[in-house]
Amino acid sequence: MSWLVYYLVFPGFIFSSVVGLLTVWLDRKVSARVQWRYGPPWYQGFADIGKLLYKEVIIPREAFGSGFIAAPLFGLAAVTLGVTIICVSFFGLSKGFIGDIIVVWYLFAIPAIALIYVGSTSGNPLSSVGVSREIKLLLSYDLPMIIIIVIMASKAGTFSIQGIMNWQRTNGSNISNWYGIIGFLVAIFCIQAKLGRVPFDLPEAETELGSGILMELSGGVLAAYELSKAIMLFGLPMFLIILFWGKGIIGGILIYLLIVVLLILIKNTNPRVRIDHAMKYFWGWMSGAAILAGILAYFGV
Amino acid sequence: MSKEVMKDLKKKLGKKIIDMVQPRSNRIYIRVEPEKAPGVVEYLFSKYKCKLCTATGIDMREGIEMIYHLAREDKNILINVKTLIPYSKLEMDSIGKKIPAFRWIEREINEMLGVEFKGHPDMRRLLLADSFPKGKYPLRKDFKHSDVTDEDYDYERSGI
Amino acid sequence: MDILKKSFKKSIWVFHLSTAACNNCDIEVLELLTPKYDVERFGIKLVGSPRHADALLVCGSVNAHAKPRLLEVYRQTSKPCLVVAFGSCGCSSGIFRDSYSIVGPLDKVLKEVDPDAKIVYIPGCPPKPEAMIEGIVMGLGAI
Repeated sequence: MSWLVYYLVFPGFIFSSVVGLLTVWLDRKVSARVQWRYGPPWYQGFADIGKLLYKEVIIPREAFGSGFIAAPLFGLAAVTLGVTIICVSFFGLSKGFIGDIIVVWYLFAIPAIALIYVGSTSGNPLSSVGVSREIKLLLSYDLPMIIIIVIMASKAGTFSIQGIMNWQRTNGSNISNWYGIIGFLVAIFCIQAKLGRVPFDLPEAETELGSGILMELSGGVLAAYELSKAIMLFGLPMFLIILFWGKGIIGGILIYLLIVVLLILIKNTNPRVRIDHAMKYFWGWMSGAAILAGILAYFGV
Repeated sequence: MSKEVMKDLKKKLGKKIIDMVQPRSNRIYIRVEPEKAPGVVEYLFSKYKCKLCTATGIDMREGIEMIYHLAREDKNILINVKTLIPYSKLEMDSIGKKIPAFRWIEREINEMLGVEFKGHPDMRRLLLADSFPKGKYPLRKDFKHSDVTDEDYDYERSGI
Repeated sequence: MDILKKSFKKSIWVFHLSTAACNNCDIEVLELLTPKYDVERFGIKLVGSPRHADALLVCGSVNAHAKPRLLEVYRQTSKPCLVVAFGSCGCSSGIFRDSYSIVGPLDKVLKEVDPDAKIVYIPGCPPKPEAMIEGIVMGLGAI
């Protein structure tokens, strides 16, 4: 029973969607200020979701109707579960289970797969270009991130979130060593690609593909997708806090804001890259850096 | 410079020219019959090495006057070949059959003024919409905006 | 449903459609997103697909080429939606009124598909950005 409350209210659906939408507002406000504009008001994220629920849903003739609506909802449910598992261990509400950091990382991959499904059944040729790019991107950024997770877990000796946090409380945060700093830089770029933000927003490339993979979504289906993106914007920096800092709630808020500001700065200073550049970047430089971090971790630097 | 060009052309083209006028130092107007015009223009384009600037058509009361504007840069001269095609026989041999540079301009003159070019390889609409009714030519002097009403447009032909 | 309707007015996503325009109005639309007349503070943003759009910004007088495509885009937009007839060409075909290729001002063309289409008229050639903002705000008030 208590897990149902955790999933739906705190720290699950309602709490993470509120914090996630406020983070989306923070992103738009800071980007506007960097360009010398005013930005939208604080309730903009909520107004967007409310407006999308007010509009009608159009299902294309070639799409498989129930799958078209069910896939983004499935992605939303998976992301909420992932965030619940992280935050339950982070706030100390309950014990986790062995291996839950791997489960969380792959729960966060489900919205991308749902999007691939929706994009390929919509029958739009521009969507299929976006689908092929999304698949390639998904394969690219997984590799360095898995190497980083394995390094941190082997240092702590266990794959559970509670175990990694406790190890860092007694032995010092991972970020205070050289391997932690290199790992953090690799992880920030993998997170940026997972969230689908510039410079890696190829699948839904606006003005190039006319919204790409999202082209046929409308109404409540698009609201589910936007909400899952907002919840991921809350969940992924928490993931990084657990891997590299292991701090509690008080220091956690400041570090969360720091990570969000870094993501905003990377978004505003870079153009969009091509898919072959992105694959070379993740499989070449980032994987190399992750292996270097592994070697340094082995020698305890 | 242009005096030599005029003498040259009179020697080569002789019988086909009706008259040749030089209003300014670097312009030559040549007037020909509609049947001889493709031959004259092809000679100027291929053997005399002129370049095509454009071709124009004007609706005079007696027929449609077509002018081919050809230029020769090294001699600094612009040659205009004029023909008057009467309304009773609105057709001309197509130069686009052999020389690709003339194809598009002949398509445009055909759809706007109604001149038929015999032997053109690809006579489609160039600028007008496919749904514009056939048989109406917008750039003629007796065309009014009220000649074409909304019912005349045939959107099936545009393929949407 | 009341709160959903209120949030509709606070975030309008715009799709820009250009039918046989001289491109002057298209350039003026882009000017609205610049820092001087920042229109994102009203929640307005440009999107790339008509399915995501709440307002169709139609520039230009409607051509015979563009008419079937304009009607198709209007059908694909998810309702409820607002149509903005932008500039003199959208309101009344402007100086191209007696041309052989113009099929009619925007409202005459749209009434064939949807007689209850909500249209906002913003005159000017091209309209000043202040006039555009006032027109959009007036249109939001009438929903």
